[in-house]
Amino acid sequence: MAFNAWAGEYDFDIPEIEKKPYEFGGSIKAEYVFSGLNEGSTQYHQKFYNRDEGSTLHTYGFNLQLEGSYQKGIAKFYAKGNTDLTYDYLGWEEDTSLYEGFVSIKPAPSFTMDAGKKVMKWGKGYAWNPVAFTSRPKDPDDPEQSLEGYTLFSIDLIKSMSGPIQTVALTPVLFPVYEETNNKYGETGHINFAGKLYLLILDTDIDFMFFTGESKEDSYGVDFSKNILTNFEIHGEAAFTRDYEKQYIDKNGVQYSRRSDETSYLFGLRYLNKYDTTFIVEYYRNGKGFSEQEMTEYFKFTENAYSTYLSTGNEKNLKKSLGLSKYYFSEKNYMKDYIYFKATQKEPFDILYFNPSLVVIFNLADASCSISPEFLYEPVSNLELRLKSTFFQGGSYSEFGEKPLDYKVEFYVKYYF
Amino acid sequence: MRKILIFLAAMMLAAPVYAIDGNELLEKVDRNLNPETFEMYRKLINQEPDGSKKEFILYSAKKGKDKVVSLFLAPASEKGRSSLRVGENMWLYIPNVGKPIRITSLQSVTGGIFNNADIMRIDYSSEYNCETVEQSEGKFLLHLKAKTKTVAYDTVKMWVDDKNLLPSKIECYASSGMLIKTLYFKEIKDFGEGIVRPSVIETDSPLHKGYKSIMIFAKFKKRDLADEVFTLNYMSRVGDLR
Repeated sequence: MAFNAWAGEYDFDIPEIEKKPYEFGGSIKAEYVFSGLNEGSTQYHQKFYNRDEGSTLHTYGFNLQLEGSYQKGIAKFYAKGNTDLTYDYLGWEEDTSLYEGFVSIKPAPSFTMDAGKKVMKWGKGYAWNPVAFTSRPKDPDDPEQSLEGYTLFSIDLIKSMSGPIQTVALTPVLFPVYEETNNKYGETGHINFAGKLYLLILDTDIDFMFFTGESKEDSYGVDFSKNILTNFEIHGEAAFTRDYEKQYIDKNGVQYSRRSDETSYLFGLRYLNKYDTTFIVEYYRNGKGFSEQEMTEYFKFTENAYSTYLSTGNEKNLKKSLGLSKYYFSEKNYMKDYIYFKATQKEPFDILYFNPSLVVIFNLADASCSISPEFLYEPVSNLELRLKSTFFQGGSYSEFGEKPLDYKVEFYVKYYF
Repeated sequence: MRKILIFLAAMMLAAPVYAIDGNELLEKVDRNLNPETFEMYRKLINQEPDGSKKEFILYSAKKGKDKVVSLFLAPASEKGRSSLRVGENMWLYIPNVGKPIRITSLQSVTGGIFNNADIMRIDYSSEYNCETVEQSEGKFLLHLKAKTKTVAYDTVKMWVDDKNLLPSKIECYASSGMLIKTLYFKEIKDFGEGIVRPSVIETDSPLHKGYKSIMIFAKFKKRDLADEVFTLNYMSRVGDLR
């Protein structure tokens, strides 16, 4: 029977009800990025010192994600692969990796055992998660993009109760770091342990988590989330890392490291007003981040190295600066104090599935920021169009002022199947 | 003695008025709409004024008065998303995001007129007190008031058929008195196991003129589920229930 809602007739046929033991799906994305270079910035000098790419860059990207699962009895296998194909001023680059691939054994709803490569995200923050000890850092510019997991073994135990504590869940994790497995996580040759205890207590989510082992410094964390009103949620996280080692370089090129206990924390809220505008605001204190002074020293060393290259052609110090970037830029926002602001307007002017938003990431220490207006439109099922531009603002030796780009405009078409 | 007899007679005459206990009636409506514990499939259709539409398929399960979990089966862009409600607590799990996030009852995970409170509906009697009942022309009109400020709609008017005790229309109001939306219950169907209820809910809203959202119910059946199914940690595995 054909669907005709206005005539009072309805199509009750729902073929998706039939469950198959296997499932298959994915997405394909085509992207174009137009970037305006900030030719006077330190990171431009570091990256393009021996190239002349003009004042703009054009990047073309293709992404394919495939996922599938197979279930038999209490066992389920799930895998997700990711392929990126990029063409930019460096030519073509292809990167294929297995994002996830694990087996789950689920004898009861209260007990699950997972083994394999898996994304295990912890924390309540939207843009940052200092307590996410077992996952790769997410990109605050696109916090909802899928990430590559780590190989681990975990058990999930859940107990529901009546009374003020409604749920208790315990997730112990074995986290191996070897040359063949998780080698980018930290020092190889060790099995590490992590765990999370979740409580739903008095309508508040609370998690306690830890990571201990030889691959990275021991860390302990706590987070919470609660709805205050139907349209108002608050959340927070705090992570304490013992004896954290940080690498520095001063403006003269002298390298040194320092160890200290560091605390990172985040407070945030999500608010929906009567005009269907959702606001997300977060304050993030990155204890492991660099101070303005420390970044200025690094930027000055890089600028001195660039001056030396211009006058002598010697690129040794520029390469040294680039080599240190893995310490300085290991996180997308590498300094100490940030405000994240996102406002999303749901379907303005009654245009269904059209959601414009504005994101501002503000560095409180150096008063630099990125401003990103975005338009997301899903005109038909499974088709997503996004236009996003990002403008970087800031003075000399500031985080966003020293980005290699002044601005970028991204457009993508994504199809899910 | 005569006074006592007159008083008793008056009480007996007044009895039919007191027989309509609004909250008791509301609980009966809840039980007629669904058993306390069940599973079902739904098709959600958002229809625009020009006739174009978008469909979502959901699997849902409910336990007790206030525990609901839903899983999107289609379209592909939404597949694997699950939402959980325990009382007034609501969470959304998006596979790419990889962890549940708290959402509010007034948001909508599907767009269109149905919000999260409509999609993750729990018993009306859990959220509302019936303040007054009117009876006329084969209908009860229940005036419901939210028990707390965390309930999606401050007041609700519910028209209930006095024979089958099923709602035919519900109007939802904000605390300002503004009408937010109207739900129309249609196509009463026998799902088996004694579940006889409307199989279609349509909604429109003065805030979205010309737009309409429709919910079609299928495979509605009783099912006993463990409490642990209605927890954050289980949200990524809701599909295993099917």
